[in-house]
Amino acid sequence: MGIDDFLWRAALGAGLLAAACGPIGCFVLWKRLAYVGESVAHIGLLGAAVGLLIGVNVVVGTAALAIAAALIMARVPDRTIPAGTYVGIVGHIGLALGFIVLATMETVRADLLGYLFGDVLALTGTDLVWIAAVSLAVLAATALLWRPLLRTAAGGPIAAAEGRESATVQTAFLVLVAVLVAFGLKVVGALLIVALLIIPPAAARPLSRTPEAMAGLAAFFGALAAPLGLAAAYFADAPAGPCIVLAAGGLFALASTAGRFVRMG
Amino acid sequence: MSQPLIAASRLSVRAGSHSIIDDVSLAVHPREIVTLIGPNGSGKTTVLKALLGLIACRGDIVRRPGLRIGYVPQQFAPDVSLPITVERFLRLFADAEAGLAALERTGVAEARWRQVSALSGGELARVLLARAIAGKPDLLVLDEPLAGVDVSGEAALYHLIAELRDELGCGILLVSHDLHVVMGKADRVVCLNHHVCCQGDVHTVARDPAFLELFGARGELAIYPHLHDHAHTLSGEPVHGNR
Repeated sequence: MGIDDFLWRAALGAGLLAAACGPIGCFVLWKRLAYVGESVAHIGLLGAAVGLLIGVNVVVGTAALAIAAALIMARVPDRTIPAGTYVGIVGHIGLALGFIVLATMETVRADLLGYLFGDVLALTGTDLVWIAAVSLAVLAATALLWRPLLRTAAGGPIAAAEGRESATVQTAFLVLVAVLVAFGLKVVGALLIVALLIIPPAAARPLSRTPEAMAGLAAFFGALAAPLGLAAAYFADAPAGPCIVLAAGGLFALASTAGRFVRMG
Repeated sequence: MSQPLIAASRLSVRAGSHSIIDDVSLAVHPREIVTLIGPNGSGKTTVLKALLGLIACRGDIVRRPGLRIGYVPQQFAPDVSLPITVERFLRLFADAEAGLAALERTGVAEARWRQVSALSGGELARVLLARAIAGKPDLLVLDEPLAGVDVSGEAALYHLIAELRDELGCGILLVSHDLHVVMGKADRVVCLNHHVCCQGDVHTVARDPAFLELFGARGELAIYPHLHDHAHTLSGEPVHGNR
């Protein structure tokens, strides 16, 4: 049945992507990098626009610019303009440029909302295969790099000062964030992808006593938010991407309330 | 003297046209306690960060090959969004046994199953010191390591730091604002105010006009650590007589 097919594809694609966002999103929280994720997503939109303009695959264009942006922005020195502000400036310039480039292309103008808020119901079978492969690869990479990533997240300048921080691992982390942003563009869009990186981990925090529990729970909450949001979108006839984010928000509210009763420290 | 653990010559760090540190040279040898003192904003932390490679600087830094460093930064805590026990936090850097021994040494072994985010400032300072010594470092770098530790605990911890030097056989580079306790334990004092004003053993520095200008009468007081007629244990009880 046609209707069932696209809903299943959407639930599977969004669920897998959100699950992969969970553990990586924990590091985004622990390293206080939410603002970097935001700006990477904004520049990702510019990448999508440029990709359309010069005829490169949109995901490739998004991933390329998002990776470049993540690598550059993570190295911003903290001077008289705070790093967060600087990153915000660059990200919003990217977003503005992205809008302008998209507006010059008559044929894609109508799809603008799709890039901003995603178009998860339009996922094709090929899209789904790609999203599944990327999500599983990101989860595997996160597991593989877990210990060095955690050491840096927990130790901050300590790990660097003691020569126990690998630059390669930190770069790999930023690439993983950028890849999730690029593939998330199709699912929840450039404006909402960071929500999948920060809300499920934030929901997992009050219920966790170990980093691993938080990562696992964040993956679970992300995977759960996708079908919940899609169901809500289906019954309320509302846009799917925003509904998935709202579902994650609902899980966050529930977890925070539950966390008050189960004091985990 | 033996080969230094770390030696820096002519370090300078600038921010735009402003010079944060200029032409700073210093070395730490095995089993030596070097204390960096200076007013607020004199560049003490910047010197440490430059030595540790955390910020870009000009000048030469030579580390003894294979040097293991234990670092306690100023006012550091893992983000509160990270759920992690003290025991696990230490285990990210050293094996469980060494971690427990280090926690016992700094007097916070009973906190090892608690969340790092739930520690008080004083407990966190002791946990961070334990983490730094658990890896059996050749060089301990301590940047105001006792922020949040109450006054009586502070004296005991400084005493502990001096003992650690003998136990671990490590060199110690220490930044502190507390002249009184610091200068009593240091082998060598480096007085910093963007550049090295003076350096030498405690008595040489204390008589140096540059030191007196920076610290005035407080500085003169600081050379009389023997004014203490008692010590304090880690839990704060006074101990009279020989320590």
